[in-house]
Amino acid sequence: MGKVKIKRKSTLIDMTAMSDVTVLLLTFFMLTSTFLQKEPITVLTPSSVSTEKVPTANVATVLVSPEGKTFISIAGDADETKKDEWGSEAVRKEVLMNAVARYKDATGKDVGITQEDVEKFSKINMFGIPLAYLHQFLQLTQVQQDQFISDMENPQVGIPFTTLRNGKNEFQIWMESIRATKNENLKAAVKAGEGIAVKSDQGTPYSTINQVLTNLQDMMMNRFTVMTALKTEAD
Amino acid sequence: MAQIEQGGGDGKKKKGAQKKMQIHVDFTPMVDMNMLLITFFMLCTTMIKSQTLSVTLPAKPDPDKPPVESSSKVNQDDAITMILWTERDDQGNVKTDGEGKPMHTIYYYFGKPCAYDPATGQLTEPNKLKAERFIGNSGELAQGIRAILAERNADVLRDVNTQKQRWRNKEITDEEYQAIAKEIRNNKDKYPNRPVVSIKPTEGAAWAAIISAFDEMQINQISQYQLETLKPVDQAMLDQYKAAHPSE
Repeated sequence: MGKVKIKRKSTLIDMTAMSDVTVLLLTFFMLTSTFLQKEPITVLTPSSVSTEKVPTANVATVLVSPEGKTFISIAGDADETKKDEWGSEAVRKEVLMNAVARYKDATGKDVGITQEDVEKFSKINMFGIPLAYLHQFLQLTQVQQDQFISDMENPQVGIPFTTLRNGKNEFQIWMESIRATKNENLKAAVKAGEGIAVKSDQGTPYSTINQVLTNLQDMMMNRFTVMTALKTEAD
Repeated sequence: MAQIEQGGGDGKKKKGAQKKMQIHVDFTPMVDMNMLLITFFMLCTTMIKSQTLSVTLPAKPDPDKPPVESSSKVNQDDAITMILWTERDDQGNVKTDGEGKPMHTIYYYFGKPCAYDPATGQLTEPNKLKAERFIGNSGELAQGIRAILAERNADVLRDVNTQKQRWRNKEITDEEYQAIAKEIRNNKDKYPNRPVVSIKPTEGAAWAAIISAFDEMQINQISQYQLETLKPVDQAMLDQYKAAHPSE
């Protein structure tokens, strides 16, 4: 009697082809993507047929939440050779120093920003804290900061629009500080209107967003852009 | 992981012949790692780059100077006023219609506003306000407010479309087309009856409605438009219209 031998088959599968595919996919994602910027609130922008692209460098984005809280994010020049002078972090430091000085002019109060605070501030993408609380805010850890700034009910969140002694408000102080930057490319972009992008949710009422628009108008920043998503004429 | 198999162990090999080696490298961990990386990139990135729309607000009037009557306002018949209104529920959320589209309404009138008595807040002539919606094209056909604006700007639109056709046929480049289109839009001598649109959002009008209104200007090649604040007479016309048409 011959024994029936069951042939043992190897379960090894050649994964080389699979690996090739995944590496290709990975390369695709790495090349096409841009990282999501951290923002205190996620908004759904309205759609438009306009096909102009959002600039990634030299732009100040003004985000208006449906509750009327305002946040600003500043992106400097993308040119690596001018990083120390015109890069995002350098511009943010410059704008903060400028804003603190202007705030002192307007209120007579020194907000007590230290050199360490300036360094921390330059790493933050989007800010929206009254200047008087900024020092306190920058003492928090990053997780606490994110938690703090995404609380839309908190009165200490959002750039205040209360009129200061010289008739300006903090939003105007920030925008004027951005306009006064030494980064010539950002300055030119702000002047031409491509450097200011207003971003808001599609349901935000006009009365809320009008606050930002009239303040821009007061500062003679009549030209700006609005962030939209793409749609076709059939929509 | 990596196995080296010695092939053919039947011992009938010639002396000195090189042993054949088969090398298997197990790629499974590599694939695992790649998959993880792909997942990370997919979750942390944006594929869609958002677009922008350029907006120019009118300059703030200088209180020291008397208001300058711009030449475009001379011919009031060409004016179109669009009052934007958004239907909201009790919580302030934008209401949507049966198809899930947000309920934005445009109340519009041509020319001067109705005669109005500021003392009583009543109109002294029949209300000429009409209501329309933002509706997308059906094929090539413009609908809703777009059709109305297209009719008012028909001359400019026709000439721009002729150029667009040339651009589609690759007779002119994109830059040339944009330049010609801009020239046509702004040619006030050739098209003296170009409309002047003032967009007046009500307090509760959604941001999307304002953007849609700007969009209609682009689509209909209207170069003269402004975002303005609602005047008392516009409010009176709107109130009266709503009282007369409670269902809308």
